Amino acid sequence: MFENLASIFSILMQGIGYTLTVFAVTIVLSIPLGLLLTFASRSRIAPLRWITRAYVFVIRGTPLMLQLFFVYFGLPFLPVVGPYLKLGRLAAANIAFVLNYAAYFCEIFRGGLLSIDPGQYEAAKVLGFGRFRTMIQIILPQMIKVALPSVANETITLVKDTALVSVIGLSDLMELSKKLVNSMVDVTPYIIAAGIYLVLIFALTKLFEKLEKKAAY
Amino acid sequence: MIQTIGLQKSFGDNHVLRGVDLHIERGQIVAIIGPSGSGKSTFLRSLIGLERIDGGTIRIEGEALAEDGRYPKERVCRQVCRGMGMVFQHFNLFPHMSVRGNLTAAPLAAKKLTKDEADAKCADLLARVGLSDKIDAMPSSLSGGQKQRVAIARALMMDPDILLFDEPTSALDPELTGEVLAVMKDLTGTGITMVIVTHEMAFAREVADRVIFMDGGVVAVDGRPEEVFDDPKNERLKAFLRAL
Ligand SMILES: Nc1ncnc2c1ncn2[C@@H]1O[C@H](COP(=O)(O)OP(=O)(O)O)[C@@H](O)[C@H]1O
Ligand SMILES: [Mg+2]
Repeated sequence: MFENLASIFSILMQGIGYTLTVFAVTIVLSIPLGLLLTFASRSRIAPLRWITRAYVFVIRGTPLMLQLFFVYFGLPFLPVVGPYLKLGRLAAANIAFVLNYAAYFCEIFRGGLLSIDPGQYEAAKVLGFGRFRTMIQIILPQMIKVALPSVANETITLVKDTALVSVIGLSDLMELSKKLVNSMVDVTPYIIAAGIYLVLIFALTKLFEKLEKKAAY
Repeated sequence: MIQTIGLQKSFGDNHVLRGVDLHIERGQIVAIIGPSGSGKSTFLRSLIGLERIDGGTIRIEGEALAEDGRYPKERVCRQVCRGMGMVFQHFNLFPHMSVRGNLTAAPLAAKKLTKDEADAKCADLLARVGLSDKIDAMPSSLSGGQKQRVAIARALMMDPDILLFDEPTSALDPELTGEVLAVMKDLTGTGITMVIVTHEMAFAREVADRVIFMDGGVVAVDGRPEEVFDDPKNERLKAFLRAL
């Protein structure tokens, strides 16, 4: 029995690498990209604003699964450039997730900026701060505090969303537990997989609680 | 010296400033009074580049901030406004910075002072506004009167020649206005030009060299405090003072 549990666990741990990779790549890249999109959505250059809004609309208006399929199966069918866009499963998953989460983070940060009192920009201006310094020293620290709970929420959602990569055949935690359940005709692998997801999410919840305490003033 | 000629400003079809002509000498203490919506804030904000006027000319110490409604490059505007500071009705302290951070951020960012100089000056100015013990406090822990005194000290860190005040005590509980007005009074006679939009008539009478009554987007009355308060000729001014 325990031997059995240990072997299920060790098989599932082989999948967790993909789960964690997609998670880490997405967090590390989509947050800065989301911030850039936020700035673009408030740019003085109108076409830049329109493109960003359209991008966010399309990404948030279509299923992540469709986006995954599009990047992995769809891109190679594009005329001319298609043959150069045959991506590996992991690369395709990373790209689709980063592009998707960047749009959500963009909206979170945009909302955070909207919550900031216009008086803050005015005080900075009359004190001689330039646009860039105003952003970095005055606005962003306040925006981060406002955005942090939503960022935490999104990050926790991401852990669970990574299970979607199984649909393009990546052997992540979800995919391996499904295979095990089928071959063993036993539900235990699902329960163990659920436990692993919960541990990850518990750790993240604690981490964000710490960060929120740190950002309070 | 501040000079405005024929300032015009509309928000949509709300024509707010309808030709404001004013000449404020260096070191003068000017109180601006007038009914709500008469354009006092808009006027003050346009002096420091927070509002863009549609027409007219603004000169600060002889340098044009706007000439016939046209503005130079942003860099030039900042240069022209560098000698001005502003104190807001709602303080606009930076909530994520301590009192010290609020005071030293701007001179450090502008490389106007070194860290040590900024700290020393911060200590001096906090002593002057009576808040030495609050140097490490966060703004959220201060009373309204304390916040406004910090805001005044913050503006003074940049050594302004001109300080603009937009209703600095209007957001305060009545018992806290005194401490802020005392700090402002202490600044008169230091050579700083002060332009103060206020509803504190007793204060205006006591400290101002000159009182401006704005009405309907123009300077309706401009005179010494005793002329304006004791012997008003203008009917609208009479009605305004009676209604107080
Ligand atoms: N940013 C703005 N957008 C639109 N209307 C404004 C704005 N600022 C002021 N106004 C309008 O301009 C008029 C004058 O306002 P203001 O200068 O604040 O008057 P005061 O300070 O004398 O009370 C008011 O009718 C006000 O509603
Ligand atoms: Mg006003």
